[in-house]
Amino acid sequence: MGEAAAASGTSNVQFSQLSINVHSAKLATNTGIFSGNVDTFTELCVDGQPPRKTEVCKKTTSPKWDDAFTILVTPYSKIELRIQCVKALRGNVLLGTHTIDLYTLLDENRGKLSKLRKAVPLTNADKKTADLTLIFDGLTVNMKKFPKTSPSNSAVTSNGQVAGAMATTPTGNPREGRSRDSRPAPPRPAPPVPNRSSVIATNATPPAGAGPSENGSDSAPTSEAPASSTDPTNNNEPLPNGWEERVDPQGRHYYVDHNTRTTTWERPQPLPGGWERRVDNRGRVYYVDHNTRTTTWQRPSTDFVQNVQNWTQAWNSNRSQAFEQLQNRTLFNSTMMPNVPTTTPDDSLGPLPEGWEKRADANGRVYYVNHKNRTTQWEDPRTQGTIQEDPLPEGWEMRYTAEGVRYFVDHNTKTTTFQDPRGGPSKGPKGAFGVPIQYERSFRWKLGQFRYLCQSNALPGHVKVTVSRDNLFEDSFAQIMRLQPFDLRRRLYIIFKGEEGLDYGGVAREWFFHLSHDVLNPMYCLFEYASNSNYSLQINPASGINPDHLVYFRFIGRFIAMALYHGKFIDSGFTLPFYKRMLNKKLILKDLESIDSEFYSSLVWIKDNDIEECGLELTFSADFETLGKITQHDLKENGSEVAVTNENKEEYINLMTNWRFTRGVEEQTKAFLDGFSEVVPLEWLQYFDERELELMLCGMQEIDVDDWERNTIYRHYQRTSKQVVWFWKFVRELENEKRIRLLQFVTGTCRLPVGGFAELMGSNGPQRFCIEKVGKETWLPRSHTCFNRIDLPPYRSYEQLVEKLTMAIEETEGFGQE
Amino acid sequence: MAATRRLAKELADLRKAGLKNFKNINVDEQNILLWQGLVVPDCEAYNKGAFKIQIDFPAEYPFKPPKITFKTKIYHPNIDEKGQVCLPIISAENWKPATKTDQVIQSLVALVNEPEPEHPLRADLAEEFSKDRKKFIKNAQEFTKKHSEKRPTD
Repeated sequence: MGEAAAASGTSNVQFSQLSINVHSAKLATNTGIFSGNVDTFTELCVDGQPPRKTEVCKKTTSPKWDDAFTILVTPYSKIELRIQCVKALRGNVLLGTHTIDLYTLLDENRGKLSKLRKAVPLTNADKKTADLTLIFDGLTVNMKKFPKTSPSNSAVTSNGQVAGAMATTPTGNPREGRSRDSRPAPPRPAPPVPNRSSVIATNATPPAGAGPSENGSDSAPTSEAPASSTDPTNNNEPLPNGWEERVDPQGRHYYVDHNTRTTTWERPQPLPGGWERRVDNRGRVYYVDHNTRTTTWQRPSTDFVQNVQNWTQAWNSNRSQAFEQLQNRTLFNSTMMPNVPTTTPDDSLGPLPEGWEKRADANGRVYYVNHKNRTTQWEDPRTQGTIQEDPLPEGWEMRYTAEGVRYFVDHNTKTTTFQDPRGGPSKGPKGAFGVPIQYERSFRWKLGQFRYLCQSNALPGHVKVTVSRDNLFEDSFAQIMRLQPFDLRRRLYIIFKGEEGLDYGGVAREWFFHLSHDVLNPMYCLFEYASNSNYSLQINPASGINPDHLVYFRFIGRFIAMALYHGKFIDSGFTLPFYKRMLNKKLILKDLESIDSEFYSSLVWIKDNDIEECGLELTFSADFETLGKITQHDLKENGSEVAVTNENKEEYINLMTNWRFTRGVEEQTKAFLDGFSEVVPLEWLQYFDERELELMLCGMQEIDVDDWERNTIYRHYQRTSKQVVWFWKFVRELENEKRIRLLQFVTGTCRLPVGGFAELMGSNGPQRFCIEKVGKETWLPRSHTCFNRIDLPPYRSYEQLVEKLTMAIEETEGFGQE
Repeated sequence: MAATRRLAKELADLRKAGLKNFKNINVDEQNILLWQGLVVPDCEAYNKGAFKIQIDFPAEYPFKPPKITFKTKIYHPNIDEKGQVCLPIISAENWKPATKTDQVIQSLVALVNEPEPEHPLRADLAEEFSKDRKKFIKNAQEFTKKHSEKRPTD
């Protein structure tokens, strides 16, 4: 820990770190504040800063927290300690306070606080209420450099900072601590944007007389034994303010929240420490977390808080790594853009051969100069010869756009087209793997088309977006929605408040990265992970808990369009079915596997089995539960009257699959797509398939084949099996883009965990990449995205393996996946 | 509700069948997704008592399996203190939409009567069950006497 650095004399006192362990306390039992055992926590407040808190220590008069805090102090800091009693009905009650004058303490210990254990008396209205034991550590101060000053005489120091700090130091007046309002000014209010008509009416209906039986089902948790004294998990904690426990005619307990006029089967947990319930000016209830100064619509349960904490921790511990990883993602921009230096290291084709230089002519068209023999040419020497093309028809000419995308001029009809007039795939040349080039995806070409459209539709000038890091989501939301959508196609100029500098793209890149992560924040309830282990995002069907969710989806739609338009990457990605939805492609049964494997398996079972003898009793209708309410949906007109039979089950499976993807998210999806298409026409995406869209949005990271191979497991193959050896030979020969395609084929996403292949997740937790021997040599490889598994038939030769794998990667749909 | 038809039929069949090890089936008319009933085991360890269970069907039934919870405490290697039980027939991997609640209950009763110490939820009881069967039975009987429900009269 640090030494308080004192610059010349008293002119500038800097902050140093001090570690304080709030160890334990002995509460005096005769204070009249409580009787018997209590739940308590300690607040620690430095110079009037927002308090830090220990955990709550339950049901004892000798609480032991052993919580260590690292705080920033000056030698003149005042540290106020407050023990609070948690009382469910009255909020917290202050038990006692004590203020430590750090200077005095330092003085007593000759400027050195190292593993110093100290008990301090806490008082309330001049009565001693507790002894609190603290352990100080890690602070060394050269006391000679700091003259003794008294708080009342702070003007003696010529130091504005310290004087200011003194002025705001709480007095330690016990009465002040009594009310919750003694907290520092609360954070900004509710997350939503203003002035949309209230939607709360939907859940403000008073509960039906019989209790919530109509919406109970799954929401009646198994741990709540109805009227059963044998329930092992019964807890006797008092209910929060405004709640009441009732029993329905079936003897089941339910809970009425008179605050929101709602009922639930679940016993409400008291709000976690530091949380507060509030009502906004439209009468809507929201919750304030004073610990992180954030707000949310959702009543925080312990799980919820744990979730958010995990999420925040994972983010905090991985952020720099994740951003670094993002910085390394590419999308062959270097070869697309004119006027780039010749030998950009990340050019996926590698550097130009010796003596070559890449240039752009006055029209921005890229050409290549050979300094050795003083020749120039349009073709890229690195790909020259790999694509041998037939001559163009009479009267046609090939030209290039500014971005190096080729197009064709027909002088006969005076028209232009991107379509190669030489036409049909049948006579096309073969690509590197013996597959006709037309069958190979030319992602690079498609991307060129897209970039061309973006540039030709760019608007002059720039658009300024000023945001603060602390309030990134809300600031960005307000600014992006205030602007005209077309303004968002101007050059972006992102400013982080207090860090004014020129944005040459780096700041924007950071903004996209951080904001894309924020839209995932479970606090906003907008998106959710596709499953416990699939870290791709999908719209949360319960997002309506945030009354303004649709405006937010519109905002996110705009934001994602901006990322594509400006060629920036986002941190987190969506599920492949979500990308398909953006492309308006039909979702098929197989798409369900990665997001709901149970549902998928059941539908597959129905597809593969005779369903008439086994009493499934299915009709063309389906139920869906959100927020404890079950709604029935007819898959077709009068569907609930139509039984599913062997004859019509195919129709049923199609309708069911489609419904499974849209249920509960239709409005949100529409809002998202509306927002998107305000900035970029969705038609521009039509060049791409869902995997390419993912690559565009998330970028491609360099795949480490060694790491991949090291973390691969085999079933019915050995590490040394010849097909396995061939497989890795093939992977090593692939360029990075194709490696990523292979990864997408097997795992369903191009994104890798920050920890690499070792941390790959499947639908049941960690699941390494797996190669299994399945089928005959005539089969194509298949993938099981929820198990990260590829079924690789025992091919006879390397060439056969290459051909089949290439087909599978290139033509994913309809081939490898069924 | 889409699942109503199927569940109503299953319930009627089950009541008609009159299982000897599963009695007092109680289904809330308001909510057919929540069933209760009494497991009445035959085996020495538990044959002096009955055990209340709850079956929760998800809204997506039969696409997703039901969940079973013991509401009566039971001294059993495969049933934990919270009443959770691990039953292969309703696990995510094995579930089929054609699986009937009747089969699920049969499988549950079989598990109660014949514990599977190889897949325990309570390792301590599994060990006792494997190493000292007499002691296990004695403890289970005492526990049953203390905590279980009365066996219904036929």
